[in-house]
Amino acid sequence: MADHHKETFITKYIFSQDHKMIAKQFLITGMFMALVGMLMSAIFRVQLANPGESSILYSLLPGSWVNEAGALNPDKYLALVTMHGTILVFWVLTAGLSGTFANFLIPLQIGARDMASGFLNMISYWLFFIATVILIASIYVQGGPASSGWTIYPPLSALPQAIPGSGTGMTLWLLSITIFVAGSLIGGLNYIVTVLNLRTKGMSMRRMPLTVWALLVTAILGVLSFPVLLSCGLLLLFDRSFGTSFYLSDIIVNGEMLHNIGGSPILFEHLFWFLGHPEVYIILLPALGIVSEVISVNSRKPIFGYTAMVGAILVIAFLSFIVWGHHMFMTGMNPFLGSVFTFTTLLIAIPSAVKVFNWLATLWRANIRFTPAMLFAIGTVSAFITGGLTGLILGDSALDINVHDTYFVVGHFHIVMGLSAIYGMYAGVYHWFPKMYGKMMNKNLGYLHFWGTFICAYGVFFPMHFLGLAGLPRRYYTNSAFPMFDGLTDINSIITFFALAGAVIQAIFIFNFIYSIFKGTKASQNPWKANTLEWTTPVERIHGNWPGELPVVERWAYDYSKPGQEKDYALQTEPMQKGEEEH
Amino acid sequence: MNITNKAIKQLLWAGQASIGMFFAGLTSAYIVRKAEGNWLEFAIPDWFYYSTATIIVSSALLFYAKRKIKQNINPANFILATFLLGIIFTVFQIFGWNTLTSQGIFLTGEGSNAAGSFLYVLTLAHLIHLLAGLIALLYSSISSVKGKYNSENHLGLDLTSTYWHFLGLLWIYLFIFLKYV
Amino acid sequence: MTSILIALVSLLVIVSLVQITRVSELLAELKNEDVNDVSDADNNYQGVLTLVIGFGFIAFVIWQMYEWNHLLLPPAASVHGMEIDALMRVSMGLILVVFFALTPLLFFFTYKYRGNKSRKAYFFAHNNKLEVIWTVVPTVVLTALIIYGLRTWDRAMNVDVSDSTIIEVYSKQFGWTARSAGEDNKLGKSNFRLVDNTNVLGVDMEDPNAADDKVLREVHLVVGKPVLLKFRSQDVIHSAFLPHFRVQMNCVPGLSTQFGFTPTKTTKEMKEQEGEDFDYILLCNKICGSAHYNMQMTFIVETQEEYDAWIASKKTLSQKLLTQK
Repeated sequence: MADHHKETFITKYIFSQDHKMIAKQFLITGMFMALVGMLMSAIFRVQLANPGESSILYSLLPGSWVNEAGALNPDKYLALVTMHGTILVFWVLTAGLSGTFANFLIPLQIGARDMASGFLNMISYWLFFIATVILIASIYVQGGPASSGWTIYPPLSALPQAIPGSGTGMTLWLLSITIFVAGSLIGGLNYIVTVLNLRTKGMSMRRMPLTVWALLVTAILGVLSFPVLLSCGLLLLFDRSFGTSFYLSDIIVNGEMLHNIGGSPILFEHLFWFLGHPEVYIILLPALGIVSEVISVNSRKPIFGYTAMVGAILVIAFLSFIVWGHHMFMTGMNPFLGSVFTFTTLLIAIPSAVKVFNWLATLWRANIRFTPAMLFAIGTVSAFITGGLTGLILGDSALDINVHDTYFVVGHFHIVMGLSAIYGMYAGVYHWFPKMYGKMMNKNLGYLHFWGTFICAYGVFFPMHFLGLAGLPRRYYTNSAFPMFDGLTDINSIITFFALAGAVIQAIFIFNFIYSIFKGTKASQNPWKANTLEWTTPVERIHGNWPGELPVVERWAYDYSKPGQEKDYALQTEPMQKGEEEH
Repeated sequence: MNITNKAIKQLLWAGQASIGMFFAGLTSAYIVRKAEGNWLEFAIPDWFYYSTATIIVSSALLFYAKRKIKQNINPANFILATFLLGIIFTVFQIFGWNTLTSQGIFLTGEGSNAAGSFLYVLTLAHLIHLLAGLIALLYSSISSVKGKYNSENHLGLDLTSTYWHFLGLLWIYLFIFLKYV
Repeated sequence: MTSILIALVSLLVIVSLVQITRVSELLAELKNEDVNDVSDADNNYQGVLTLVIGFGFIAFVIWQMYEWNHLLLPPAASVHGMEIDALMRVSMGLILVVFFALTPLLFFFTYKYRGNKSRKAYFFAHNNKLEVIWTVVPTVVLTALIIYGLRTWDRAMNVDVSDSTIIEVYSKQFGWTARSAGEDNKLGKSNFRLVDNTNVLGVDMEDPNAADDKVLREVHLVVGKPVLLKFRSQDVIHSAFLPHFRVQMNCVPGLSTQFGFTPTKTTKEMKEQEGEDFDYILLCNKICGSAHYNMQMTFIVETQEEYDAWIASKKTLSQKLLTQK
């Protein structure tokens, strides 16, 4: 029975408890932050291509960030890369990806009216919103925002004397992240409990779409790993503001001898990366779940190896808790410990490889329909192959000696996160836009957007592997201080060119998105002829999702082109025929 | 919208798992830091023994309250008693901190040591989570006084007592940890 | 002025996009088509594009390898470094083989199986044998790679340092200072509280081992002789990165870290090989503040005689700090 309470503008669009609206709130906020983060990267890429010169793009920055000659200040370069990383990792790829799709898809795909607690769900968005406001505000404080890298290692992040951004900016960063994590946790709790309890009749775990599996496991990962970031941050807060020595010891900074004794920055790194590594899988798994869905629907074939895919998600999630040390190979840790982490890290390649092979097998003898979503899903697979393979180099401790903290790492994580995960997010938006807004996005603009992005993105990030193998460190304001890097200037210029072109091309997507919400052609109920339950809800979207009774599930989600079927798809609600076998 | 009691209880359990991980992070940091030396050894103040006893008794009272409501007897007095014991626990914790400072063990500053800092941070973090428990107990006391609970429906009391027992178990873990590790 | 121009141009572009989109929609309506329906023609076109651009990407990768190969670091100038380079060649070889196998396969599939309404896909939901094969094969290959990698790591990390010359490398915002352990090859104890303008490394002159230590602005090493670098930091985490030797180690305030290695090529030899401009260099490789990009110190590898002559010219700490205490 659908809810009958009266909706005002406020309860419908602002303080909504409807999971579909909350999903869109996450999406819009995530998209806005993506633009901010992308703009920041355009700005610092300009600095890298034309070091020490002025640029019109710098006029977007607070005035104090450039010197008299109009060049970007070195510490503000670091502020930009820090905020870029923070915004993209947390705001866009965690909240923007999980927040949007977990909220939107989970109740719809499991056949529930809404999340277990609409109220908590609403709180989770508004905490996210408040965290966003605080983070943006931190850009404008006097010392500038946090500038010690998104990884905020102390002592640099603990001492304003070491870099201005570690003053108020860093305090606001910590406050913002704490609120962000609280919101994320509250959201995650909801997702888990909803999947475990509110599946409709017939929706066993084994009939759930892979997207739901991925989002469930992601939420569990978050619930178990984000709190450790809070403990890590709490101890940092005490060191910064109350003079404790958890992470600080033996420090003379700016001529001042500090009283701290006994602390260890390496302790911070352990705590941070205990979240930090699961975090990247929190980012990746939902994207991979979306991709499995989009590929299957648009190949008109079941996803190959459903059980193996579920298994792979679970194994990846489990292993993600025991690989964090591969971010710390160069800290002077006991070499044996380093060996353990190399071993576990290379293990994680196995379920990842299984996923790639399963996608390839899905594409084999398929009948591919190239929607923009499908193109992005294929892009994800390509990027996951490329980026995943370079992970084998980085995960090997001996090889990491020469590529750690160089552009090789930057290339690797951008290809797996910036390409794979972002493409997954785009695929999700293009694919579920008709369900979110009842309209279709323009197909040709989508094609243009994809190819432009695909070309530019590889143009930006693939060359970085060469920069890294040439020894160029990351987070360098310029490489012109070292003659050994003089030969790399051309590569830097090429990267910046593709970065700026790629940034401009995203305007096509923004335009398409906004235009289509208002003027897009009206969508039909099931434009992609997909099997999953969300496509059985009315186009106009109602509170409570289904106007009458909740759907009853009779089969798994992947009966596409099944022999003996008239159509090349079968909704999950369609009863099995006599003698028909389930997968 | 169909929210089952089971789902709400699961929300609480998942939340408790998160809180547990938070304290796991802090206690593992403790272990790593201790292994590096320069670690002051000191006795746990007596007040923490008293507070441990207090919180155990308070849980027993709350357990008893649940027994009562299942027999449809209004347990308001017991819930209120638990709340008061919770206040006493808080007071004992503060007394414990006072003892520490009088012995020269501080959270921070020139004379402080990581061992002391960790103890303060752990107990303070626990206390802050306990504050939420106190609010829940107060709320449940009031609900109970107003007669909102019966033998069939006492979700609020269930949630409050689950969380309160969790806080008690968490404190026992922290106490044993601080005493023996 | 320029910003106004940019705003106007952007507005124009947006308006044009709107018009183009509206026109294409109206045209489709006239033809009684759904403008956003993916037709067989679309599938054909996009399928071909995946092949062309996908292979274009592969060509781009090959071009980069060819064009930029000479920019990569020269072969390692240390004993363990050569082993690391061998491991790198094998690992890179492996990932390149996999990359050049899977990527064309992906784009070939998307081309070959581009859809049309007259075909039907092949319902193939699972195959346990395949799953086993493509789980076991990567496992076996990766196990071999892991074992190789761990042996190389073990040999790089567990170097016999009993005969190594000890040199301290001290990092701070924003520069490096080195300290030779002197004739006794023992570094004098240090304490950050002793740091001042003359005693920049905070060496405890009460320690008899400190007397013959020498503070250096440049590090000289003897070719073929093992050296143990010991790292300290004064303020924040830095990282000592010596790419030519394949050496990297974080410098952490409050801790002491170290890395032992044996240089195999003199600076002179490298200059002949790489050009007169070559120098072994130490860089900072962990974000440490504004001038993180400009923390450098030169390392010179030379013969024993050249080294002896050079080090003899440097004052010991007891000589420099003679006026103190």
